[in-house]
Amino acid sequence: MNIADELRELGQGIVSESLGQVSLQISAEEVLSVAKSLKTNPAIKMNMLLDLCGVDYLYYGVESWQTEGACHQSYCRARAEPLSENSVWTGARFQVVCHLLSITHNQRMRLKVDLDDSVSMPSLSGVWPSSVWYEREAFDLFGIQFKQHPDLRRILTDYGFVGFPMRKDFPLVGRVEMRYDSQSAQCVYDPVSIEYQSHVPRMIRNDHRYVDVGEESGERA
Amino acid sequence: MAKGLDVNDIIVPKGYTVTSLDDLVSWARGSSMWPVSFGLACCAVEMMHAAASKHDIDRFGWGLYRGSPRQSDVIIVAGTLCNKMAGAFRQTYDSMPQPTWVISMGSCANGGGYYHYSYSVVRGCDRIIPVDVYVPGCPPTAQALVYGIMQLMMKVKYAKQWERDRL
Repeated sequence: MNIADELRELGQGIVSESLGQVSLQISAEEVLSVAKSLKTNPAIKMNMLLDLCGVDYLYYGVESWQTEGACHQSYCRARAEPLSENSVWTGARFQVVCHLLSITHNQRMRLKVDLDDSVSMPSLSGVWPSSVWYEREAFDLFGIQFKQHPDLRRILTDYGFVGFPMRKDFPLVGRVEMRYDSQSAQCVYDPVSIEYQSHVPRMIRNDHRYVDVGEESGERA
Repeated sequence: MAKGLDVNDIIVPKGYTVTSLDDLVSWARGSSMWPVSFGLACCAVEMMHAAASKHDIDRFGWGLYRGSPRQSDVIIVAGTLCNKMAGAFRQTYDSMPQPTWVISMGSCANGGGYYHYSYSVVRGCDRIIPVDVYVPGCPPTAQALVYGIMQLMMKVKYAKQWERDRL
């Protein structure tokens, strides 16, 4: 019996298989009980948590830039359009994705946890201690609160950093920039002085190289 | 000591030379610069190449990388300077004995480079400390760094003369 069938037998969450990879999607309420059974169930036995990260689905499926044809210069950038709100995503905005490994069965799986508007879930550090730093990272970059985490501090960003930089509504250039102030003899923050610009290059050749034959006749001829 | 002449050209024929103490001090200073190990990113690998046997900056008296800024004359900023590092970087610079010299190596240290639009990167290490020589490149080759080092050597050796000429 393969791992997907075992997970279906467990009866919690949605099991999906794609490209030979097994995913289990659950809600934040049931994460602790599911995690414990994933680890202890002798037929599954996910001994290791290899990775844990956050996902922000805000603006999912919305193109942040749109070009209307080829660029006639040798190289120019697409103009950054303001992001519209018509996302095609209907699920939860934040998701926590864990990658698990069973050393016993030489099997891997993915555990997706949908978060509600409180943007919090129970910490997995009681089940897999390796999740402690990953959860700190997800907290630092996405602002996801992990309840009962032993030491939920920021891990990567600057001391005293404000905001969660990997959220889609965080500006890429940030809100502050740093310089040394000789009067106070310390590094100080100023409001950011540059503007965001799109780094996506516009298409140089308007040819049909990357279009399927069916699409081509309808739109681009 | 005349500009552009090797010390051996002067001493060997006569057996002695006459110079000013300023020139002697700056010659000695420029010929024995100890860099502080300050590799922040991939530029550090090119810095190691410059120090290794092929380019061997020890020929110029530059090869003695120190682990402590208190024993160093020059800091080679080799890599991306992040906001979180900036305070420690300034502290490192302030711990170096005077006179201090700075080489900014690579695009990131010169002006943010690839990470110019990032929320977490200092857009050029000259926002934090004064810089003497900028070495362009991403990363600069070891040869480019050696060239930058030779420029700084000139600046150190002829600093007094340069200041006199400017007045």
